Amino acid sequence: MDRPLEQILARNLVSIISLAAVLVDVEGALVYYNDAAAEIIGSRFEERGMIPREEWSSELGPLDAEGRQIEFDDLPLTAALRDGRPGYGQFFIRGEDGLMAIVAGTLPLVGPAGNNGALVVFWPVPPED
Amino acid sequence: MRVKLWGVRGSIPVPGEAAAGYGGNTSCVGITAADDCEVILDAGSGIRELGGAIQGRCKRIHVLLTHLHLDHIHGLMFFAPIFDPTVELTVWGPPAVGKGLRERLARFLSNPICPVEIRDLPARVRFETVPSGPWEVGGVEVQAALVAHRGVTLGYRVAVDGASVAYLPDHEPGLGEDLATVDAEWISGHELAAGTSLLIHDGQYADSEYPHHRGFGHSSLTDALAFANRTGAAHTLLFHHDPGHDDAALDALAEEAAGRWRGDGTLELAREGHVVELAA
Repeated sequence: MDRPLEQILARNLVSIISLAAVLVDVEGALVYYNDAAAEIIGSRFEERGMIPREEWSSELGPLDAEGRQIEFDDLPLTAALRDGRPGYGQFFIRGEDGLMAIVAGTLPLVGPAGNNGALVVFWPVPPED
Repeated sequence: MRVKLWGVRGSIPVPGEAAAGYGGNTSCVGITAADDCEVILDAGSGIRELGGAIQGRCKRIHVLLTHLHLDHIHGLMFFAPIFDPTVELTVWGPPAVGKGLRERLARFLSNPICPVEIRDLPARVRFETVPSGPWEVGGVEVQAALVAHRGVTLGYRVAVDGASVAYLPDHEPGLGEDLATVDAEWISGHELAAGTSLLIHDGQYADSEYPHHRGFGHSSLTDALAFANRTGAAHTLLFHHDPGHDDAALDALAEEAAGRWRGDGTLELAREGHVVELAA
């Protein structure tokens, strides 16, 4: 079954930008990420493939400053998937060198036929921030 | 199911001898699966002659619009059955945020662009946004899906008794993707076209022209061939010919396409007037 066009076109964009970006389907599964995101995730999408929500959240986070898992319901991503609202937040994720602070922006992929997931871009917060 | 090509040209009608071989009318394909009903794909200038051919015979007509660019709707006002009060005409089209299909088409079918207002059309005309799942019109099952083109654009799959035709006249699935290698689920329009008896697909540009038109919403020959190959369609017609391509240019494109085609099915360039009979 084809992916929704909104996801296909978003992947076209995500695949050529240098900013770390991932695509998430309506269930929260990570269905594509670009090479910049792969630097953080640890493997290229072509090697790993789709990552279910439970899997990526247990591996990466997002986490609070103490390293505790943030509930999925409390993420801006959830607002994008449930309500079609853009979101923005600052979290920590597990990196090779411990907790890494990141800022993430979420763009819901709402099309004429409804919600088709979300595009999330993220970048590390420099230590001085 | 009988499929007839009434217009195979893209962008603007091309009159004159130089284009007479492939035809100069813009996008329109007629599908006949029942005696008293016609299903029509797009309302380019080809729909004018189609209207004359079915007038009096068909009282139930369904027009499936892929999108509302002018070359896909400018034949509507010259479609004779729309002026027949005994005709039931349903126009199906793509979804959009805000205004409905009738209101969007009324921007074209109204003063000062058009001498007749949409509310004054004599036929019993309904305007419907396509549903998200399959539905039935005129004895055929139809499936619509959004496909890669500029603006909200649909592709269609029409099936009856085991025979099927996919219609994607304006389509650029290769934008940002290598169609030969990417997983099929990431190819725009793949599910619509997969395994069809007949695929009618955008083949507007020669490869040498494509770099100057990337992102315009149309396919290069390489991408059209790759898409057809990936879908496994039994027969492919390359469609939506560029208005700048005369018969000689299209003959050359057809020769190149035939030489490069490696798929299992057959492939050729669409010609106005071509009829394909599809059986299960």
